[in-house]
Amino acid sequence: MIQLIHVSKSYDRRVALSDLTLEIGKGEFVLLMGPSGAGKSTLLRMLIGEERPDQGQIFVQGKNVGQLRQSEVPYLRRKIGTVFQDFRLLPKKSVFENVALPLIVQRSSTADIRRKVTEALRAVGVEHKKDQSPASLSTGEQQRACIARAIVNGPVVLLADEPTGNLDPERTAEIIELFKLINARGTTVVVATHDPHVMSLVNRRVITLMQGVLMPERQGGDSVGV
Amino acid sequence: MRWLVYLFREAWANLRTNRTTTVVAIVTTAFTLACVGIFLLSYVNLRHAADWLQEDIKVIVYLDDRLSQDVIQDLEGTLKADRMVGGLLYISKEQALGEFRAQFPSDSHLLEGLGENPLPASFVVTPAPNYRSLDAVNRWAERVKTMAGVAKVDYNQEWIDALAGLIRYIELAAISVGVILSMAAVTIIGNTIRLALFARREEIEILRLIGATRAFIRIPYFIEGAVLGVCGSALSLGILKLGFELFRQQIGSVGRFRGIENLVSFLPLSICVAFVAVGMVLGVAGSMVSLRRFGEGRG
Repeated sequence: MIQLIHVSKSYDRRVALSDLTLEIGKGEFVLLMGPSGAGKSTLLRMLIGEERPDQGQIFVQGKNVGQLRQSEVPYLRRKIGTVFQDFRLLPKKSVFENVALPLIVQRSSTADIRRKVTEALRAVGVEHKKDQSPASLSTGEQQRACIARAIVNGPVVLLADEPTGNLDPERTAEIIELFKLINARGTTVVVATHDPHVMSLVNRRVITLMQGVLMPERQGGDSVGV
Repeated sequence: MRWLVYLFREAWANLRTNRTTTVVAIVTTAFTLACVGIFLLSYVNLRHAADWLQEDIKVIVYLDDRLSQDVIQDLEGTLKADRMVGGLLYISKEQALGEFRAQFPSDSHLLEGLGENPLPASFVVTPAPNYRSLDAVNRWAERVKTMAGVAKVDYNQEWIDALAGLIRYIELAAISVGVILSMAAVTIIGNTIRLALFARREEIEILRLIGATRAFIRIPYFIEGAVLGVCGSALSLGILKLGFELFRQQIGSVGRFRGIENLVSFLPLSICVAFVAVGMVLGVAGSMVSLRRFGEGRG
């Protein structure tokens, strides 16, 4: 599903990623660990075509992301759901309207939008808040709404950048459970985090980055000390 | 269809969110375009006057004195056969004197002192409809001047030349002022759009990340620019119409210019529609400039 071949990226001589080669298969759940500045966000931004590698190649669902024309990038992003640490919900729109956005930009029909948004909101457990503004939701609910927006158009990959950064441990566990459910339906999930607590909640493959360099892979789960 | 509703709703939201800026932009654009409109109005009316003069053009072919009746008839035949001649009227020396006396009764004694009638016989020629342009009349007059028995060819050339010159100046001024003020209108609208872009930068970023195309992101701002342009140009037409009616009223009340108010006219509907369309294009251009400067356009 995702393949990186000798990918490097620098910003003003500061190395963000160095000769990264890795593969993430279809339906995998991968934790991308590392401290702040390790290159996690750079990697995620490259997967959605927001950044281009200085060297190497990136493939998502067989498409060479670095070779895509600017006009093709939106179509790549429609296959990838993105979850942000700060939720990025539009304050002047209702929860329903926020979640509907990816479908609106794809020019889906009104009936389709209503059905898919309702399903997504139900899947993340905030269907009853659909008419409220994001500001009236708790942080956990806001993140759920953000996840609903990321999955509403059935993406093949879900990328989450520090999705639990603003949540308490209890809400963190709930959100990770939600990602597991989404993954169980066949979506490839990549969660970038610096929080070791998250690693203890996920008994899956863990990729670690340190100053842009790939560390030996580990396995998350209960055995990991927090 | 929801996407279409979304695009228009976003444009409307932009206009409403920055209400004061929107109103200021419309009013400023209106006054800017009204200045262009003044030149356009002057140009249209002068053009109208020139066309009217052109349609009414008469060429007077004065004849040498003491031409025999046969020569005059020959000359009349030659002129009548000319395809550039639409109509022809012979004015004899006696008729010319009669007309002079009728038109200037208090000055008729001046001619009496001369003894002999000094006024020449003439043909008053109306050019054929397709040959009433200044160039055609000029060429024809030059040709007729060389004919035997013709003393002089006269028509209101100076007046028409002066008007044509004035029209050319107005045309040039209208184009120069139009270009400069159009750029000003583009800048005014562009700045308004830039404020909207700045206010909604987060939304634009989110739209980009969820797969909105460049066109989808841009369309609401194009709509906003078009609405500002249309409202600005429509309001400028309103201002122009008001100013025009006041001018007409004022000029009608001044004795010397009485009657002119019926000769001047406001811009025809087709030009008004074109004016609003130009306003719309300027608005869209303003949006385009701002979107480019804002950096929106990345994938």
